[in-house]
Amino acid sequence: MEILLQLILSGVALGMIYAVVAFGYQSTFATSGTLNFGQGEALMLGAMFGLTLAGDVMGGPYLNYWLMIPAVLIFGALQGMVVEAVGVRPAIKTKSEFGWIMSTIALGIIFRNVAENIWGKDDMPFPSPISSTPLHIFGASVLPMELMVDVGALLMMILVELFNRKTIYGKAVVATASDRDAAGLMGINTRMVITFSYALSSMSAAFAGVLIAPITLTGASMGAVLGLKAFAVAIIGGLNSGMGIIVGGIMLGIAETTTGFYLSTGYKDVPGLVLLLLVLAIKPSGLFGKTAIKKV
Amino acid sequence: MIKPRWIKPVIGASLVALTLSAQAADTIKIGVSGPLSGGSSPMGISMRDGVKLAADEINKAGGILGRKIELIERDDEAKNERGVQVTQDLINREHVVATLGFINTGVALASQRFYQQAKIPVIDNVATGSIITQQFLPPKYPKNYIFRIAASDKIQSHMIVDEAVVKRKFTKVAILADSTNYGQLGRQDLEKALAAKGMKPVAEEKFNIKDTDMTAQLLRAKEAGAQAILTYGIGPELAQIANGMAKLGWKVPMIGSWTLSMANYIDNAGKNGEGARMPQTFIQEPNTPKRKEFINAYIKAYHPAHDRIPSPVSAAQGYDSMYVLAAAIKQAGSADSSKIQQALENLNTKVNGVVTTYDHPFTSTNHEAIDVKDTVMGEVKDGFVVYAYENDKKGH
Repeated sequence: MEILLQLILSGVALGMIYAVVAFGYQSTFATSGTLNFGQGEALMLGAMFGLTLAGDVMGGPYLNYWLMIPAVLIFGALQGMVVEAVGVRPAIKTKSEFGWIMSTIALGIIFRNVAENIWGKDDMPFPSPISSTPLHIFGASVLPMELMVDVGALLMMILVELFNRKTIYGKAVVATASDRDAAGLMGINTRMVITFSYALSSMSAAFAGVLIAPITLTGASMGAVLGLKAFAVAIIGGLNSGMGIIVGGIMLGIAETTTGFYLSTGYKDVPGLVLLLLVLAIKPSGLFGKTAIKKV
Repeated sequence: MIKPRWIKPVIGASLVALTLSAQAADTIKIGVSGPLSGGSSPMGISMRDGVKLAADEINKAGGILGRKIELIERDDEAKNERGVQVTQDLINREHVVATLGFINTGVALASQRFYQQAKIPVIDNVATGSIITQQFLPPKYPKNYIFRIAASDKIQSHMIVDEAVVKRKFTKVAILADSTNYGQLGRQDLEKALAAKGMKPVAEEKFNIKDTDMTAQLLRAKEAGAQAILTYGIGPELAQIANGMAKLGWKVPMIGSWTLSMANYIDNAGKNGEGARMPQTFIQEPNTPKRKEFINAYIKAYHPAHDRIPSPVSAAQGYDSMYVLAAAIKQAGSADSSKIQQALENLNTKVNGVVTTYDHPFTSTNHEAIDVKDTVMGEVKDGFVVYAYENDKKGH
């Protein structure tokens, strides 16, 4: 029983890491129907930038840990705007159906290369203000850092949700998400909303990077695997459901840890991907996704 | 047309000058092949820097056979296919007489056949997979061109098991190995070494490169009653194992292959990584004049962070491999690759290296220069690798 609890707690922690990354996919998909396949790299850049400010690489630390977070948020937002302006806007403008796929992947590779040249290719430890002594819950151990990921991720999603529901700008985002053309006719600057959603998406990725870096180690290649797993989570949960992403993330995380223990550690990535295949076969819009009717 | 009288001597003299300068420019080209980027780069760069240090010293002392050494460095990015390209380039375009290198067992296994076919000797100075020197054994092949100056996994796995079972009397051990060629070949060697002691691991777990959560693997080992964890992986994931153990509040000794000395294990595991033990051929400790000289020269030339050589073992083995090769070229009396191979198999001069003194390091049947006696147990302590046993420090 203790073991199952431990596996579940570790799985939840792992799943929430996937969920925060997956959250970024959702915010751009909702407004523009496009995804930033460089999401993993946005996360890596955020973590690297944070490490430069608050870690002891490159002659730092320059900033206190808590002051570093807003700086990383701004950095992330700017990075997202660059991706949108360079990679996505031209594709949307020319109605190029899949142009944004290649250009966001290309930008991701460019970012990774730049990062490798600035920070090197090695994995580095990330400072954390929180103690790394594990807490014990009914005999299972959790790291305070893992709890911080859970709390940080939920907080971030709640804030975005409140923003969408309560503010006029948020309503513009929701309107654009539900029908871009109609929103445009109603006087909403949909182009700006899309830029904003990219800024928000990369901002959340950068935040996620700082949040998870103490657990995952920081390095130029940290985003690659996470970006992919998070994409699977976004598909499982549904690309237009915040709730779905949390549930999807937790499902994948627990699937990985429990299969690792009960079946074999050699097969731990399999059930998550089988789940992905099942969802795609049975409910392609995701477990919590709304089916969009597309007229052809 | 009347030629001026001075024209002949001038032409003659310039011809002589031309041939002289051509001879001076005629260097001995030696390939250096390893990952200079990517996760294995601390090893690749340390190895290259060790080789460079030795080559510079040799060149300053006048070179070999009156010719300078020219190193041709190539980055194989720890990728098998890139290693093959690099190999083709070094053999066919650069015409190297011999190559030093290979960090990754997989890359070595994929690339070495081309050196063997081209009859160019290779001294592996880091890659440890046991079968590396066993691919082209006589009588199937007339001559084996693959040599090694590194502790093979066979030696290492025996040392690891010896440490766990004989010295520390553990009766139940778990193996945690990564899913790469390196990890899985190492796991087999560990199993064999355990079987020789009449033991079987109580758990055998796998993990992937970039895995961050080791809960499942560690719980399985814990449930099976493991008293120690034997590892075969590389720095970052090994650090995750140490951190995972601290999280579960389950602390048993970690004993594993030499990669537990990687800086990215030591840094990322921090205090959780203390006490891990691994076989080492070289420890950054100036306990002999030769070692002191080498460590100082390295730090002076490359200024590593915290004055810590990124991978001391790779640097030392790289340095030694250059000197052993130089001695072989000298003995061969020419830069002819097959003569160098013959000289390596029958080296008459003793080479005083930093790892050990090489007295007839290779024979036609044994291409492993490093023996169990050249290898000691290292331990992670305060962010450095130190001798695990005080006696080794004096005797090694």
